[in-house]
Amino acid sequence: MQTFDTTTTTLPTLRRGSQLYETERRLNAVLNNASVAIFLMDDRQHCVYMNRAAELLTGFSLTEVLTRDCPLHDIVHHTYPDGRPFPLAECAIDRAFPENNQERGEEVFVHKDGHFYPVGFTASPIRDDEARIIGTIIEVRDITEEKAAAERQRLLTNELNHRVKNTLATVQSIAAQTFKGKTDGVARQTFDARMVALSNTHNVLTAENWESASLRSVVEGAVAPHALAEVDTARFDLVGPDTRLHPKVAVTLAMALHELMTNAAKYGALSVPEGRVGVSWTLEPEGSGERLDLVWTETGGPPVAPPTRRGFGSRLIERQLPLEFDGGADLTFAPTGVICRLRIPLTALGWHGQERVTGRVAR
Amino acid sequence: MSGLQGRRVLLVEDESLVAMLGEDMLLDLGCEVEVAMRLDKAVALARGADLDMAILDVNLGDTCSYPVADALFERGIPFIFATGYGLSGIEPAYNAIPVMQKPYQVAQMERLLRHLLTCKTPPKGNMPSLPCGCSFWAKIVGPHQIRAD
Repeated sequence: MQTFDTTTTTLPTLRRGSQLYETERRLNAVLNNASVAIFLMDDRQHCVYMNRAAELLTGFSLTEVLTRDCPLHDIVHHTYPDGRPFPLAECAIDRAFPENNQERGEEVFVHKDGHFYPVGFTASPIRDDEARIIGTIIEVRDITEEKAAAERQRLLTNELNHRVKNTLATVQSIAAQTFKGKTDGVARQTFDARMVALSNTHNVLTAENWESASLRSVVEGAVAPHALAEVDTARFDLVGPDTRLHPKVAVTLAMALHELMTNAAKYGALSVPEGRVGVSWTLEPEGSGERLDLVWTETGGPPVAPPTRRGFGSRLIERQLPLEFDGGADLTFAPTGVICRLRIPLTALGWHGQERVTGRVAR
Repeated sequence: MSGLQGRRVLLVEDESLVAMLGEDMLLDLGCEVEVAMRLDKAVALARGADLDMAILDVNLGDTCSYPVADALFERGIPFIFATGYGLSGIEPAYNAIPVMQKPYQVAQMERLLRHLLTCKTPPKGNMPSLPCGCSFWAKIVGPHQIRAD
């Protein structure tokens, strides 16, 4: 079995100026100036070469590592962060003695001074002339900063979720205190229900780290307004494919559906036991993206008369929603039941238009 | 009379519910309101609509309203920014523009809009007087120098 010559750091037999000598010098310059740690392993997982960055990373010099004459694992990876010994047999890097180029992973190494540090590694096999694997080259990066940044991000997201919830609750409390005895209970109930609708949408967004929301979750949340309630299948038909919604689309759509729900419960299909609501939607191609076509249909309710006055719900659905998303909305008070058709373009950001104007995309 | 009666105001605000509130406040002040919730529409209105002044929400979802500001500068239409982030939320190039803090308050809105109507900068040299020192300053510098990017 071929092993690496451990004396390759100096090649005394090479003549200065020879091609091999120059190649060696260039390679050393590359390796020792690289900011990523590079380890060359033989087939026993002994380290036979490490560059300067690897010495800085581990705290060990190449000479120390060579002198120990043991698998590199036992030098830099011998203990789990919880203090248990970490035998070589359990080592992912060792087990993944790579058959393929550039196998990647993350591990936690132990520094010479005893502290733990997270690393990302990339391992690739080295083959001999017969393509047999005779060793491994491992690149290792210290990912302490990345880990810390991800942790800060997680804490900030948690804080954001917490603050948003608290702010909504605070607004609700201020409203309750301010209007106590000054408005009728109906207005207060309407207000509270709208706050809950908004809060429910934020729950969906929170679960998804505020990146996007599932369309189906938004629809289900709107028609089953109590957090733990199941959708009442005797009264609701929800038919359509799931997709991802931009947070802005999720919030406005949820508020629009909440207004339709409230109206249905007060005057429409949900005001009588036999009434039903169908919510069906399709995704149609539009430009480079898709468009959500959603139809809310009430049946089995009392005869509908068009409202004498257009309130918050109508204004939100018929005017704001199309303005916000460059979409469309038709709210029809048909005698057989309310029908509401919404058309919302779903672009990558849920909010196209800015690219055309500025070429400057989001911050 | 608020002095704002019949003034045509462009309101740029990307959140449906917040836009409703802002529009209602402007209507209560006697203004005529053009609402834009998307950047492309807002820029089109800023370039072409018959306007006396404007209120621009700085952050429009995934973008900012600076292109609208630039279009208003070019026409000498005075405007204010609205933001929940305080002054630090605005690019330094636009720091002469009055800022209305969110959440919207009708008294603050009225005061700042009146300021836009009444603030006169004395003419310097052969520069014409413009309704507000803020947009006067911008006119001298020109819209292309003030874009921070």
